[in-house]
Amino acid sequence: MVQAAVKMDEPELIRAAQQGDQRAFEQLVRLHDQNVLRLATNLLRSPEEANDIYQEAFLRVYKNLHTFRFDCSFHTWLYRIVSNLCLDALRKRKVRREESSLVETSEGYLDRMDTVEERRADSDPERRVASKQVREKIQEVLSGLSPRERAVFEMRHYQGMRLRTIGELMGTSEEAAKNCLFRATQKMRAALGDFV
Amino acid sequence: MTCEEARKNLPLFLYGELSFDEEELVEVHIDECDACRQELELEKAMFAALDGVELVPSAEALAESRAELRSRLALAGQPLGTSPVRGSAWWDKLREGFTIHFHFAPGIAQVAGAAVMLALGFLTARMTPNSLLGNWHSAGMVAPATSRVRYVEPVSPGRVQIVLDETRQRVLSGSVDDAAIQGLLLTAAKDSSDAGLRVESVDLLKNNSQSAEIRKALVYSLEHDPNAGVRLKALDGLKQFAQDPDTRQALTQVLLKDDNPGVRTQVIDLLVQRHTDAMVGVLQELMEKEDNSYIRMRCQKVLQEMNASAEMY
Repeated sequence: MVQAAVKMDEPELIRAAQQGDQRAFEQLVRLHDQNVLRLATNLLRSPEEANDIYQEAFLRVYKNLHTFRFDCSFHTWLYRIVSNLCLDALRKRKVRREESSLVETSEGYLDRMDTVEERRADSDPERRVASKQVREKIQEVLSGLSPRERAVFEMRHYQGMRLRTIGELMGTSEEAAKNCLFRATQKMRAALGDFV
Repeated sequence: MTCEEARKNLPLFLYGELSFDEEELVEVHIDECDACRQELELEKAMFAALDGVELVPSAEALAESRAELRSRLALAGQPLGTSPVRGSAWWDKLREGFTIHFHFAPGIAQVAGAAVMLALGFLTARMTPNSLLGNWHSAGMVAPATSRVRYVEPVSPGRVQIVLDETRQRVLSGSVDDAAIQGLLLTAAKDSSDAGLRVESVDLLKNNSQSAEIRKALVYSLEHDPNAGVRLKALDGLKQFAQDPDTRQALTQVLLKDDNPGVRTQVIDLLVQRHTDAMVGVLQELMEKEDNSYIRMRCQKVLQEMNASAEMY
């Protein structure tokens, strides 16, 4: 009675999950969840909030997958959900002021982001100090970007998405996404000029 | 192309987001202009610096997110528009993990910290991992109490294969400090179908909140359980950890999101025992939407003590 594991492509997984196949849903999640968590982590710079976005996004996908009609790619559909959640979180954070990644513990202040791996580690102490300064400056600049600028920048720079796709999933034009990215890079260039 | 136009296009040039014609114009200009070529190098250096600060969630973080999602999906049940499917082992596993029914024998459950008698109702044999069969006493196993046909499948003319889910009841007893008992209590604390069972389970677990795993479960119940009684029990177990940063963060979220004024009242009483700068924004946000007069009064008092405005900027 054990069904043989069949390797399905994404549309097949979606159709199977729409029919209630939970294993297919899990496979579908695993095709995308690493990038979703990465995007949320980079956008929100908070592992806890990134996990919240991850949970909420895939729960929404789970509850609404039966409405997915292949009018757009699943990737676009999923990231529309993820980017909306991230934008909401960023806007909310703007209202309650930018949250520090520092948390107070019995051992003093710790940076929650220290629990997240950075892409490049530097073994040279001097360079590490310099790199820390640049990192802090970048963090400061990122915090100063509007939620939309930040989302577009993260999706283009770190997720490698095309501006056309970003525009589509954010419900705007490619041109508007381009302008957003342009403003973001301009601000970063102005702020980081002395550091690079 | 002027230098100004070229420089404006450099980021999009590096991202490969210019049209063929635009890219040509930038390339030609850079070939001819030293200053803009230097500017392009600076732009590249900035890109490299940005690459270096990309955050990559750890494998553990991803695994934790996946595990939490599984639990949440199990609680969410089958979504609309789908039908239960045959042979979906993952779903079966989820269902099995979260549809175990536990019942405490009357009287004994009230003796907190003492030995507890668990009657595991409708526990299929498959539901109990061997790893959980620790230091407890099995008081009895009876013949299958109920059966359910999972599905039928014709295998040849005139013959059929039937998959049956059999459920049976077992009575197990052990100390509430026993890891295996705690494992079952943790599972029962998430049983979406029986709020009474969750209240009893959380009530027993809360006395062991020094365990990080139990504390995590209590935080989960406090944040997500739909029943206020369960949330209050969980909160009770977390009181002594109100100064722990993770617990405090969870309490803050509960204060802002919980729809039950009784829960919010207890949370604010806990949070304001210690004034921190981070609380100001939270209390101001709360003042925007809170309609309970006691909570508003507590908020205002603390904000005054901290010389902060009651309104958000």
